[in-house]
Amino acid sequence: MAQATYDLKQLYYQMLRIRRIEEAIAARYAEQQMRCPTHLCIGEEAIAVGVCAHLTTNDKVFSNHRGHGHYLAKGGNLPRLLAELYGFAEGCCGGRGGSMHLTDLAAGFIASTPIVAGTVPLAAGYAWAEQMKKSGAAQGCASVARGRMPEATAAQGCASVAGGTAPRMEEVGRSRKPEPRMPEAANVVVIFFGDGCFEEGVMHETLNFATLKKLPLLFVCENNQYSVMTPLVERQPNRDIYKIAAAHGLQAMNGDGNRVDQVYALAQAAIANARAGLGPQFLELYTHRWPEHCGPNEDDKLGYRRPGELAAWKLRCPLLQARQGLLDSGLSHEAELADMETALVEELEQAFQWAQQGSRPSIDSMGRHLYA
Amino acid sequence: MHDVAVMSYGEAIREALDDALAKYPEMILIGEGVPDPKNIFGTTQGLREKYGSERVLDMPLAENGMTGICIGAALAGMRPVLVHQRIDFALLSIDQLVNNAAKWHYMFNGQQQVSLVVRVIIGRGWGQGPQHSQSLQAMFAQVPGLRVVMPTTAGDAYQFMLDAIADNNPVLFIEHRWLHPIKGEVDKTRSSAELVGASLLRRGNDITLAAFSHMSIEALKAATVLARHGVEAEVLDMRCLTPLDVDSVVRSVAKTGRLLVADCAPEMASMGHQLLSALFQSHSQRLRQAPRLIAYPNHPVPTSHFVANHYYPGAEEIAAKVLDMLDRQPLKEAVMLELQNDLAKDLPDRSFTGPF
Repeated sequence: MAQATYDLKQLYYQMLRIRRIEEAIAARYAEQQMRCPTHLCIGEEAIAVGVCAHLTTNDKVFSNHRGHGHYLAKGGNLPRLLAELYGFAEGCCGGRGGSMHLTDLAAGFIASTPIVAGTVPLAAGYAWAEQMKKSGAAQGCASVARGRMPEATAAQGCASVAGGTAPRMEEVGRSRKPEPRMPEAANVVVIFFGDGCFEEGVMHETLNFATLKKLPLLFVCENNQYSVMTPLVERQPNRDIYKIAAAHGLQAMNGDGNRVDQVYALAQAAIANARAGLGPQFLELYTHRWPEHCGPNEDDKLGYRRPGELAAWKLRCPLLQARQGLLDSGLSHEAELADMETALVEELEQAFQWAQQGSRPSIDSMGRHLYA
Repeated sequence: MHDVAVMSYGEAIREALDDALAKYPEMILIGEGVPDPKNIFGTTQGLREKYGSERVLDMPLAENGMTGICIGAALAGMRPVLVHQRIDFALLSIDQLVNNAAKWHYMFNGQQQVSLVVRVIIGRGWGQGPQHSQSLQAMFAQVPGLRVVMPTTAGDAYQFMLDAIADNNPVLFIEHRWLHPIKGEVDKTRSSAELVGASLLRRGNDITLAAFSHMSIEALKAATVLARHGVEAEVLDMRCLTPLDVDSVVRSVAKTGRLLVADCAPEMASMGHQLLSALFQSHSQRLRQAPRLIAYPNHPVPTSHFVANHYYPGAEEIAAKVLDMLDRQPLKEAVMLELQNDLAKDLPDRSFTGPF
């Protein structure tokens, strides 16, 4: 494996940003203004951040019901995410989707949807199209996003809605992640999904086709061991998920999904392989969700986890581990980390302020866009 | 200048796929058997040789996964045409069709679109049995966001296939296997029908026959014989299911006062109910008598031709019902004599030796 060179501080900042955003959503959830099923990714931030750190906006990401982290790590627009949760026209889906349906085409985040494994074949199809375009099989083919930008969600519109005091969208919405320079390399598609997908037929159908066509595709399995409240042991036999992918002919690896440095290194190798045309890659990363399956609260009192399981995972918090690494290695210091927190408080305040000033989608618009 | 050619329905489909592959570099044609030696009853013949194996290809036996993969390819700008030799196989892809394809443009607020055509074939007879000859068109037509068409003539087959491929929505393109050998005129210069509207196949003042897919052929047969006996039936081919062209039926019924719907589906799964419901809710005053529906029985079709022969209604049943509705029963004997033939009802024509 190539030696990973990375900026741990940057990775930490991205994880911290996702954590604080999720916490802020949770804190406001009880206000009953964000009325949509919301699946927070607190505890699982390292996977989204460690993988997306290698992607450019030309690389595409598909995700699932627990998609805030993927969206944000890919550079998805924060105020639009929040406006979507509030059901406003300025939301990334104009209020059509809520938390479980996110998109930001400019950032290369194509979509998240909540049918388990529903987006897995879509990611493969997207990668297949990219491959065909590259090979010349589909020359002259229109590029992404043939769809129109809806009136209410054009980026300029946002800035004007937000008014003079609001920060510019580029500053607020995009993560400040430097893009890797890979001008000649092929674009890759990344699909994030959970361990539950391995119980769905379409997962295996997609693995089969992805290998058959040697697609430039990275499968990222976030194995958090629970499907809602049902543990893995009640759903799957005792065998490794990544080995099933390997049996399908993919290059598959597993690792600690709570160590952002490890995720980063594994993803670096896998994405390089996918770009180089070596076919689909697979990562199984172990992690744990802290809050309840859906909603803002902790639910350890329900007793579906083993006693002490959540506490043990919290000791292995991805942020805590990265923070310790930064301090121990001298890459950062307490004051600098405190500045990060301050900057995030400010960003969040502005983002929520903008989102909460959103406009209601007109009732007339409800039937719009059924057909293109 | 009209460029009219006579060709079979199946040839018209092949011709449209050929022309579309030439026109749209982003089109791909994929399905189980697409490039095999029998090439979907001849409808994909020669296309792999002409356009290459990257664009014209077979697929793994994974209907749901491959539907999702085609949706993903469409999101990236491709125009996939996915073929199922039986509509029964498309049931495996309901999740991707209903949850993703049908809703994508709506739920992402018009920012993304799914230009996907799913070709499915329905049919009847020759022992296709319970899982190889279902007529599930109404079920698909109940999903907002899907376009469902079932053209009947060769000319419509050509035009609708081109329109479906050009369309930026998911389109379910339903072909009745028995239509494939029927010849008709294909006018390549015809302007697009944009996948809407019924088609008037025959004018008449006595009764309106609104028929679906292959039943339109049966309705025409019945109408032709009835005309010799002084009964003029108007035949409307209900070639588009979403939206269903109720207006054309209302206009015709305003003239005839009578409606008989003929569908190639079990009665409980017939699009005819939607038509009758719309008519009753808004235009019942135009009806001189209660409309009727001819469809298949409400159970699966058995394989044995001894019984399956009695499962499918056709021109005889349509003509008999028309005469009942018009109270012209004395004509029945003569009309039936003319419609009768010794061809078994599980065969489309004498040359057919099965299976399909």
